[in-house]
Amino acid sequence: MKRYRVLADRIVVLIVLIGLWQLASLYFGTYWVSTPWLTISRFFVSTFSGEMLRHAGYTVEEALVGAVIGAVPAIILPFLLRRMPAWVSVLDPFMVGGYGAPKLALAPLFILWFGIGIESKIALVASVVFFIEYFSTLSGVRSLDAKLVQMAQLVGASESQVARHIVFPGAVPHIFSGLRIALPYGIGAAVIAELISSNRGLGYLVQIGAMNFDITQVFAAILGATVVVLAVGWVVDETEKLLLRWRPPADNALQQVNA
Amino acid sequence: MTEQTTPPFLEVRNLAKRFATRQGREPSPWVIRDLSFTVNEGEFLTLIGPSGSGKSTLLNMIAQVDVANSGEIVFGGDVIGVSDSKSLRPGLDRRIGYVTQDDNLLPWRTTLDNVLFPLEVQGRLDEKSRAHAETLIKAVGLSGYEKYYPHELSGGMRKRTSLIRTLVYDPPVILMDEPFAAVDAQTRIQLQEDLLRLWEMGRKTIIFVTHDIAEAIALGDRTLVLTKQPTRIASDHKIPFKRPRNVKDIFALEGFATVYETIRKEIQ
Repeated sequence: MKRYRVLADRIVVLIVLIGLWQLASLYFGTYWVSTPWLTISRFFVSTFSGEMLRHAGYTVEEALVGAVIGAVPAIILPFLLRRMPAWVSVLDPFMVGGYGAPKLALAPLFILWFGIGIESKIALVASVVFFIEYFSTLSGVRSLDAKLVQMAQLVGASESQVARHIVFPGAVPHIFSGLRIALPYGIGAAVIAELISSNRGLGYLVQIGAMNFDITQVFAAILGATVVVLAVGWVVDETEKLLLRWRPPADNALQQVNA
Repeated sequence: MTEQTTPPFLEVRNLAKRFATRQGREPSPWVIRDLSFTVNEGEFLTLIGPSGSGKSTLLNMIAQVDVANSGEIVFGGDVIGVSDSKSLRPGLDRRIGYVTQDDNLLPWRTTLDNVLFPLEVQGRLDEKSRAHAETLIKAVGLSGYEKYYPHELSGGMRKRTSLIRTLVYDPPVILMDEPFAAVDAQTRIQLQEDLLRLWEMGRKTIIFVTHDIAEAIALGDRTLVLTKQPTRIASDHKIPFKRPRNVKDIFALEGFATVYETIRKEIQ
């Protein structure tokens, strides 16, 4: 019952938002604000012609390769540093600096270094994903329950068994909450790098649309990027649900509220 | 008589413990001092003492997860120093099992996988040990709950799971730290009966800490009463009741009231 209620309320909110959008385009004119109908029909035409899919595919490729390159070391590093708290402290200001630095401002630099092809976008995505994922995983490794470790040692678990059976499963929820934040950021970073300089991708579609004063194309490309972010988020959520069946439902409910 | 001639199975000698003094403060008081006792093989020893008498600390030191300031443990003919934190071996190479107050189940493992966990890390998971685990699960009435996660189990079921997780790998000595303190009275009696039945199946040496006098008498072959801090052994009582015992009827047994009163007076 409750689920349907939420769904119904969501549809109401959606209709209100589309209504406001329609009003805005009536007020400012379609030259500045495209209408929902134009945007959605352009989105579908572009999708079925394969144009949108090709550009979205390119952006997704940049984001996924970049996310893997950024996330894998970000997840491994806290585990390696677990037994070396001194090194965590040594690295901390640099990690905080890297986390806080405006990575999107690095886009021009990466384009200079790696060219306007896919490499510069991958580098930017990786730099964004790495720091977010590092801190999430680190907090997961730190939230470790010392009593569980003690139990494992008492029954004879080695250091590597403790890491595998206690530390890692305990950190998985944190790894996922990191991904849930890092991946949309990564996709955003890919789009922005394309905006600056590219000949493919959703950011390129936005850029071309703006240059040609084709506002509907800009809106359709942004809608495409939003759909990509939602789809990736859905995949992360479903994977997490599958892997974290062991969590008490209260935790899950809280997660959904946070998400 | 025979107990005098055979060397004790496990002996605690002159154990002393005080917590580290913080900078600029008075030295912290002794929690445990000059504490010595012995346990025979296959004996069910219960320890009872006022709250705050360092009972958990004592078990932690025997299990080698906490360091003592002085004293030693003699076990299986070896003299084991317990005052150097670097040489501590938690569980003494799986020879000492420890059922703590918290069940410490792994939340991401099902009941069965939690029970199998020690066997898995010890590389002893085979058909025979699996069958043994199944027998234990059945013995404590957890059949049908093998695939449940800890958060889906009641407090009593979690306790049973943590109990048989220790029994499954057969450590010769098992320490228990008020394992049934956090459950309701009804469940506690059930758990005590489960424990006695499991113990009758293969008589392990058990050191069982509690603050419940009736529990100490109902379960133990012998009960040691601890003093207030600094903790020592105040007295040593042989519990005369025959086994197998029925926990529910223990109050009605001849002589129960006398033992109970004696111990109650000694606990301050």
